[in-house]
Formats: sequence, structure tokens, C-alpha cells
Amino acid sequence: MSSKIISPFNRVEGDLDVEVKFERNKVVDAKIISRLFRGIEIILKGKNPLDALVITPRVCGICGASHLYASASALDMIYNAEVPINAIRLRNVLSMAETCQNDLRHTYFMFLIDVLNNKYRDYANFEEVIRRWAPIQGSSYKECFRWSKKYTEVYAIFGGQWPHGSAIVPGGITADPLPNEIQRAISILLDIKRNYLEKVILGGPIDQFLDTVKSYNDLLQWAEDYKEGDLAKILEFGLEANWHKLGYGSGIMLSYGHLPIEEYVGIPRKKYFKPGIYFAKEKEYKEFDQRNVLEFVNSSYYIYSKGDQAGLHPFEGETNPNLDEKNKNKYSLTKCFRYKLDGKLIAPEAGALAMLTVSGNPLILDLIDKIGPSVLSRVIARLVRVLIYNELMLQELNSFEFGKPTYKKPSEVKEGMGYGLVEAPRGALGHWVVVKNEKILNYQIVTPTQINMSPEDPLGNKSHMALALIGTEVSDVNNPIEVHHIVRSHDACMVCNVHMLKLI
Amino acid sequence: MKTILWLQGGACGGNTLSFLNAENPDVLEFFSYYDVKVLWHPSLSLESGDKVRELLNNIVDMKINLDIFIFEGTVVLGPNGSGKFNMFAGRPMKDWVNEISKVANYVVAVGDCASFGGVPASEPNPTESTGLQFHKKEKGGFLGKDFRSRKNLPVINIPGCPAHPEWIITTLSMIINDKLTEEDLDEYQRLKIIYSTTTQFGCPRNIYFSYKVALKEFGHREGCLYFDLGCKGSYTKSPCNVILWNKQSSKTRVGTPCFGCTEFDFPTFNFFVTEKNRSGIPKRLPLGVSRGAYTTLSAVARASAPEFLVKPLIKKKEDRGNWLE
Ligand code: SF4
Repeated sequence: MSSKIISPFNRVEGDLDVEVKFERNKVVDAKIISRLFRGIEIILKGKNPLDALVITPRVCGICGASHLYASASALDMIYNAEVPINAIRLRNVLSMAETCQNDLRHTYFMFLIDVLNNKYRDYANFEEVIRRWAPIQGSSYKECFRWSKKYTEVYAIFGGQWPHGSAIVPGGITADPLPNEIQRAISILLDIKRNYLEKVILGGPIDQFLDTVKSYNDLLQWAEDYKEGDLAKILEFGLEANWHKLGYGSGIMLSYGHLPIEEYVGIPRKKYFKPGIYFAKEKEYKEFDQRNVLEFVNSSYYIYSKGDQAGLHPFEGETNPNLDEKNKNKYSLTKCFRYKLDGKLIAPEAGALAMLTVSGNPLILDLIDKIGPSVLSRVIARLVRVLIYNELMLQELNSFEFGKPTYKKPSEVKEGMGYGLVEAPRGALGHWVVVKNEKILNYQIVTPTQINMSPEDPLGNKSHMALALIGTEVSDVNNPIEVHHIVRSHDACMVCNVHMLKLI
Repeated sequence: MKTILWLQGGACGGNTLSFLNAENPDVLEFFSYYDVKVLWHPSLSLESGDKVRELLNNIVDMKINLDIFIFEGTVVLGPNGSGKFNMFAGRPMKDWVNEISKVANYVVAVGDCASFGGVPASEPNPTESTGLQFHKKEKGGFLGKDFRSRKNLPVINIPGCPAHPEWIITTLSMIINDKLTEEDLDEYQRLKIIYSTTTQFGCPRNIYFSYKVALKEFGHREGCLYFDLGCKGSYTKSPCNVILWNKQSSKTRVGTPCFGCTEFDFPTFNFFVTEKNRSGIPKRLPLGVSRGAYTTLSAVARASAPEFLVKPLIKKKEDRGNWLE
């Protein structure tokens, strides 16, 4: 048995170590190791609850608005805030603009440049994809550089600045845009749509794609009809490279749902993308209930006052780091996420693929039916989400009603508990907050990367990412590009809490 | 050709993302125009694993010349000084930072974390984080107050949470052209051309500030955020409202208070509240204004506030209009 450590594992947000054990060329064990701890939850203790709106976006430079949205939603619940429809629309736009920026940058800067690998030298399409996707020089790489930042302009019009604006507050949003600002954002989104998404990504009209491509076969047909789009090239290259057979993982999809549709008080009822859990093999959907979320530390460098075998719901969560290197069971600075379902602990997958499956997108559902949850289906789902979001942003902005409020001041409360559940670019993100005497008593953040890449739970169950790696056959143990594809197809975010790829 | 190495410590990656938003020149144009070679960057480079370690070792052994070492995030010293909360390429990141800083011609701290410690270093500083050459207000930080890079300059700070891409590009281009001297830096080792004016310069709410018209709640274009909503724009050094973010806006323009993220004391917490003394005067006064002067000026200014400024400029359907004071 040979072992390989890849440390640092780059092109994830932050640095990462992954330990992979090989038997000949097959991965037989994998550990994902988080080695960065920043202590945000500890810093928030005792602070004014609103301070979380400034501090939590700083958990992650690429998805700060998701943390902001989750934080404000948790506070909406605590203050029982009435959130006007205008505010909901703008909050949604902020979240989607950031996610589109992320999804494009992840696809081109972090994922696709791996086609430069030696393994692909003899592929028929090699020259072509290099011309498009090579770092710095590739035509589509450059286009992504140019266009992804336009989404941050849309963000800044209502959010002030990206990264790290803090315009979402309990009760609404701080901005009060005039019609010309709404118009400007619409114009940027239309520019992106016509001159980038349709020309470079899709090679054809978005409206037609969203209206007609409803199955894997439709997608193959689309790739035939619109050969020049990157989507067609990704599909073609991915199938040749067997990306559709890589990285199946747990086969359980989790989404917290995203983007409220209507005004609410305290907690949103209806969302554009519904929450839930979906079992890919069984094609079975289950309701999601946040009460079943648990965090374990038996394999993580933390201690619990109730003992390290306990599983705590985030409302009761504890963050006491303890780097005890003598304890051989512990190896990660990420706590272990598990969802309790019918007495079992499940370790689902989170991300664009999970979100679109759970919410019932027909194309993505058929995709995972035909080519499984896989590297290829994840990359495609991420791009499809950009198309959907771009349209939905236009819809939200067109429905904005100037003259109606964007904020309603909630009445003050001294204590309470609330959670905010959103779909960040990398998947299900939750903030659980307990307020006492007008101060934060406990603040627990559970990130999507944690859901995908936790260490083992007390029953020895592995997380989705480890499962996705185990069983993978690599073409060259010294160049395990397949391992890179699997990890990067998840858009790992190590700054949330993690480091990975180290060999045992 | 100049070489750059960019590493991240206790960081969120926000400065990298901010840098990618640069325009005129954008990052690719900037690199090619100034003939910059990026030796390695955690999210932009191809190389992983052993190859990176080899590169770092070659830099430390001076087999590869390093012109500019850019560090993002805090230097993490915890737990107990070991640095093990932030391991990188097989070692605590702090050890790499220490060795690489000695061989780089210039050392640049990008963002508030690398400059002063920022969010991770705030109380109770659970990761034992610090900035490269400052710990909050105090000079010293990780590299020590006497540290000088090979070109005989202290660490060049580009604070901001994150730093604006234009500040990063401006600073780097001055370095690359060998134009940056010690006289260009202020007491916090920031470029004076960027950090001499306050965030208030260019804020559209400035007229409300002048006449002491306060905004009482969020969600409105009118009124100044200083008096009740915690805005630090009148005593924070940054050109946010002059050069704007993402070509579009700024926090105060969209009604979010300035949080003072270019300063050594960020984050100060209690962000959305203006702390006041017993007579109702804000505890922190605008830069350079004395308490006496403030009191006198306020009374006169408020009394002479033009009629059209003390009510909403555009009456809206559900407007109660009682949010200005
Ligand atoms: S205090 Fe803030 S809101 Fe008021 S003028 Fe200054 S920067 Fe603008």
C-alpha cells in the first residue's frame, strides 16, 4: 500500500491537506484535513448581535454575502422582524450576484485549468480546450476574468461593495435604490447574458436552453446543436475523460432551500428553491428539519463538556479547540456534520448539484439519474445555476417597486434563538444564534464544506467527500489528477475551517 | 521581470478576490504590462503539493529571486506559540513567513489582517493572531518593529477589509518601478496618497453631516449615519467614497455605516451604534475636532439646516418621514 500527501492542495478557497491511501492505483482510504482555525465563533461571544453582520462575512472572502444573509435571517427570527418584499428581492439579488461570480470563477480559475494535465496530452480535443481554458492565456479564462467581476458591480449597486458589504440587516436592507440604479443593474445583467453567457458559456439563447433542455438527452442534443459553447466542450471533454464516472460519493443530496418568494415575519415560508433531502439511487425525497442537525468532535481537535462522543445541535454547540496531538483519533479542525434521519446518521452532499436536485430541477434530476452525482454533473449543475440565477435576478429587479420600503425597523428584544439557513455557492449554510441580555451567548456556523468534508463520526461513518474519493482508480499514482478533479468539483472552501490532502 | 509570491495565513481570501476585481488595468493586463511573474498564488496557480514546497525552499535558499512577498491574513501563532492552527506545506505558516520575509526585496501586507491583525486578532484572539509588523496599534507584530526587507523598507501595509484593488495595484506598481520610498508611507506604513483623506470625502451624506441631520433607521438615502448608526467615516482614513467600489458604490452610499476597516483598531464592535457620552455627544468625534468646537458647531449647524434637508427628499407611499432628526 502506498500513500500520498498533497499539501498544500491549492485552488480551493484557502489551503487544504488530503490524505489518500492507494492500493496499486486505487484509492482505498481518504482523509480530509482541516488545518486552519480562525475562531470566529469565539470572537462573537458576548458581542452585540448586529456585529455578526460585519464579522461573519469575513469567514469567507468569496461567499461573504451568504454568511451575511444567513446571519441576518437568524436575526430576523430572533427579532421577529417583518421583512418587506422589496428587501427580499434585493437580498436575493445580492446572494445570486455573489454566487454567479463564485460559480464562474470556480469553474474557470479553479476547476477547468486541470485539463492542462499530462494525462490529457493525447486527447483529440486537447489543443482546443487548452486554447479555451489554459490559465491566463485561454480565451474563455480571459472572458471569465472580464465578466465575473461584472456580477460584483451588480452586488455593489445595492450592497455597497464586494467582497464584504454588510447591507443586509434584520428587517430588510440598508439600501434605498432609485429606479436608475435598478435600471443600471438590469442593464449589466443583460449585457452579461447576451455577450457572455450566451456567447461563451452556452453558445445559444438562454431562454431556449431553460425552456427546452429538461433531460440528459436534451443536453446532449443541445451540445450537438450549439457546439461552440463551453458547456458543449465541457460535456464532450468530460465524457471522454470519464468525469461522469468520477466521485459518486454518498448519493444523498442536502439543500436548505434558498431565496424567499414573499414577505415574511421572522422566518420565510416559501422559497424559490425548496429545502430537503434527496436519495439519488432510491429517487426518494424527504423533508428537512433543522432540529436533526448534529455536530460531532470525536475526530476533531475540539472538546465537548459532555464528552467527545456526544453529538450537539448547533443551538447547544460548543467551540473549544484543543490541539491534542497525542489523541490519534483526532486529525481535523473541522467539526463533523451529521443529519439524523430515522435513527441513523447520514453524511450528505451539499452544493449546486444538491440544491438543484432537491428543488426538483428536471434537467439536473435526470442528469444524476443518467450520469450519477459525479464530477461532470457537479460542474454542469454549477453553470446551469448561473443561467437560472441570471434570469431570476432580472425578474426580481423588474419586480422591484420604487416607493415601497426596503426596511422595517424591528422592535428590540433582549433574548431569543434563531437560525438562518441559505444556499451559499458551496451549498447548505446555517447560522444558529442564541442571544441573551442583548448579547450573543452562542453563535454556531455550519458550513457546506464541513458537510461535504467532515472527518468520521463516532460510528465510523465517512463523509461524502471521503466516499467520493474511495474506490477511485487513478491513471498515475504520481499524478493523481482524478483526486484533484473530485475535490475541486466540490468547490472546496478551506477558509471556512479546513486544510486538506495529506498522505498517511 | 519582477517576481511575486502571494501567500495566505489566517485569511478569508477576500483580498485575493478583491484584487481580481481590478479594472484599468485588470490583473492580467497589470501582470503583462509590468512584466510580473507570479511564482505562486494559492488560488491562481496550477502547482500543488511537492512542487510548491520545492519552490518555497528555492526561494528561501535564494536560488529563485523574490522581489515582492505579498501576505494576506494574519500570522497565526496559536496554540501556545506553536503556529499549528495554520499549517502550510508541512510546517506552521509562520515559519515560512519568517524565512521568506528575510529574502524578499519587498514585503507587502495586503488587507487589515496582515497589516494589523484584523478580525482574527480581536479579543480574545483565540488563534494568537498578529499582523506582519503591527499588532493593532502597536508596532512590532510578527516580524518585529525593526524589520526591514532587503530593499531597506519596513513592511508596506495596504489595510482595508478587504483592500480595494486599486490600492493594491497602485502600491505594487510603485514598488515595481522602484518609486516607493519611506517618505511615501504614513505612521502605519500605509501609502499616503491613498490613506490621507477620510471615508467622508465624497460621501453623498456629507451635507447632512455638515448640518447635523441624523438618519435614525436604515433603508433611506437621506441623513448622515454618524450620529446614531455608528458610521466611522469621519475618522477613518480611506478613499472609498472617492474611487468607489466595483466601479459603482460604497457602504455609506447604500446606507451601511463605515466600519473603519482600514484602521489598526478594526474591528471595534458595536458597529451599528454610535456610542455617546452622558450629554448625548458621540464618544468618537470627527478627526481633529475638539469637544468644545464640536458642541458649538453642532448647535449652530443644526439651527441653520436648510428646510429641504430635514425631511425626505422624495415622499414615498408608506413614508412616515420621521426617520430624520
Ligand atoms: S459620517 Fe458616514 S454617512 Fe455621515 S457623511 Fe461621514 S461617511 Fe457619510
